[in-house]
Amino acid sequence: MSGEINRRKFLKCSLLGSSLFLTGKSQGHSVPLFSASPLSKSSEISRVEARYYEKLPDREIKCHLCPRLCQLGDKERGFCGVRENQDGRYYTLVYGKVASLNVDPMEKKPFFHFLPGSQAFSLATAGCNLSCRFCQNWEISQMRPEQVRNINLPPDAVVTSAENQGCPVIAYTYSEPVIFYEFMYDTSLQARRKGLKNVVVSAGYITPQPLADLLKVVDAIKIDLKAFNQDFYHQYVRGELQPVLDTIKQIASSPVWLEIVYLVIPTLNDNPDEIRKMCQWLKTEIGPDYPLHFSRFHPMYLIKNLPPTPVSTLERLRQIALEEGLHYVYLGNVPGHPGESTYCPNCGKLIVERYGYTINKNEISKGKCRFCGQKIPGVWS
Amino acid sequence: MNKSKVAIVSSRKALTSESGPDPQVVLRLVRRGLELLAGGAKAEEYLLSIIPPSHTVGLKINTIGRRALSTLPETAVAIGLWLGKTLGQEGQVIIWDRTNEELKDTGYKQSTSPEALRIFGTDSRGAGYQTEPVIHRNIGSLFSRIQAEMVNSSISLAILKDHGLAGVTAGMKNYFGAIHNPNKYHDTHCDPYVAELFECQQIRNKHRLTVIDALKVQYHRGPSYHPQWAEKSQKFIISPDPVAADVVGWKLIEELRARKGLPSLKEEGREPTYLFTAERLGLGQAKLENIEVLEEEV
Repeated sequence: MSGEINRRKFLKCSLLGSSLFLTGKSQGHSVPLFSASPLSKSSEISRVEARYYEKLPDREIKCHLCPRLCQLGDKERGFCGVRENQDGRYYTLVYGKVASLNVDPMEKKPFFHFLPGSQAFSLATAGCNLSCRFCQNWEISQMRPEQVRNINLPPDAVVTSAENQGCPVIAYTYSEPVIFYEFMYDTSLQARRKGLKNVVVSAGYITPQPLADLLKVVDAIKIDLKAFNQDFYHQYVRGELQPVLDTIKQIASSPVWLEIVYLVIPTLNDNPDEIRKMCQWLKTEIGPDYPLHFSRFHPMYLIKNLPPTPVSTLERLRQIALEEGLHYVYLGNVPGHPGESTYCPNCGKLIVERYGYTINKNEISKGKCRFCGQKIPGVWS
Repeated sequence: MNKSKVAIVSSRKALTSESGPDPQVVLRLVRRGLELLAGGAKAEEYLLSIIPPSHTVGLKINTIGRRALSTLPETAVAIGLWLGKTLGQEGQVIIWDRTNEELKDTGYKQSTSPEALRIFGTDSRGAGYQTEPVIHRNIGSLFSRIQAEMVNSSISLAILKDHGLAGVTAGMKNYFGAIHNPNKYHDTHCDPYVAELFECQQIRNKHRLTVIDALKVQYHRGPSYHPQWAEKSQKFIISPDPVAADVVGWKLIEELRARKGLPSLKEEGREPTYLFTAERLGLGQAKLENIEVLEEEV
């Protein structure tokens, strides 16, 4: 009979009592790698209970970490791809699982008013709770932890490694630190005890309570404000604008230092009127003293059909921000441009001269302009 | 307009124990379903009319629910072996899903020999994901190399489940397991993502047949397994029209829900609207009046 199954053949193809054929073992790497060859084994994924979630009936959970408020059944993962419901408990799969690790200058984050010239021990895990079509780090941020190479680096090892590297700062960066919140929080706590500072590079898509708790253990946060337009957030980021604005206000009302980066994408979020409204909002809601960086876009990930941002566009937007009364407006990804440097808002003199990530001259002393004594907001020592 | 044909075949002997279905009965059902679609021709003839004999065929299964609620090896291996025999060689068939761990937990034994029925996950050595994302409408994803490069024809051998976000998960949504970032496509009831993903050439140009395993249907609180809301329906739903097959699966879930006194998915605000989107994209028929259901108990 043509359809008959040979029992021996069937058993050969089903496990039922047989052994597992393992995938290859991934080796430890200190740089982000993506490979189509064997990826991380599930044993290399963490299983630490997540914070900020609610248990629901029938083994469901609701995550309260970010504004998505994912409600998930058993075995399901959140939008971030790194938090999973396992039998009614919610776990972070990336606690201590570092997918990218580097020592970077603070200026690369960028932080221009926070310990200029210092080195940041910088790390990230896989995953993100947004889905930006222009993501510059998509090879880790848009991946699940088992789709990248991870090294095991628990909080105490991060702190020890940062000390060994001579880094006074640990930076949680590259992907989206909100999604590795527990790892970031615990590491920050340990780092503080050792006298290290903690900085966060985030899109600010987080709910108020976890943010309030985080603000107690970190020293500076850089927020990527993607646009001042809900439609853009919906179409290109897959998120909402308002929670990010709320985050900015919450940080500004705390002692934690804040800087804002705006990646300017030609034709998508470079409308001068919109930028003017954003600057007015920033001045009204948080004041003129927090740095605003207009950063140059380069075609990446799902948006490859647009050119890099013209420098003239960046200059125009910087001029608008200055007209609206913001004191510290910078250009990013344009090495050598005068817009990289800091000018005293009182006397107008050049007080920090930068070239790329390098500082050529620093005329700030004890947090003040050396020429006129104007206080320059930031964390300088 | 020609109606899309969907076969529903059932047997009370298919799933008689908790240990799993009877492979012989499973195969008899699937072959009979294909005969119904063929309008009298043999199942093998029908199969060869939709899949060229030179093709390597992917059987995309769903093992996220492990042994409790997945495409079990008793089903997939039975179909895979017959498929290989019909095409010419066992090695022309790849049973696959996202990870070897899920396959193993569901009872599959990994096999990569080109001489035999192949069974492996995307995370196998030599497989993995492509390194450049496919960009199509709202989709931006890396495809499994199994789907994108290793197979010429594809069969979605899916499980029928209620889904808290999508409404229903069946043949089309099964392809979420063919990309690296399905977690990004679950908002707005997976609409339009399920339809737009299917529309990508890596799926649309290769998909030949949907075979929905409805032997045990999770009709409420899915996609997780909850035995109190799982029904032994003892059915397979088979169609070359991916949308029509899923619509018939959805109807079955609604019938089970109504019988148990549960509100409809529409009443719960989670109709699988991606099926209507799929119809608008020309992927198949979503209206029941355009679907001819051929039902038989074997």
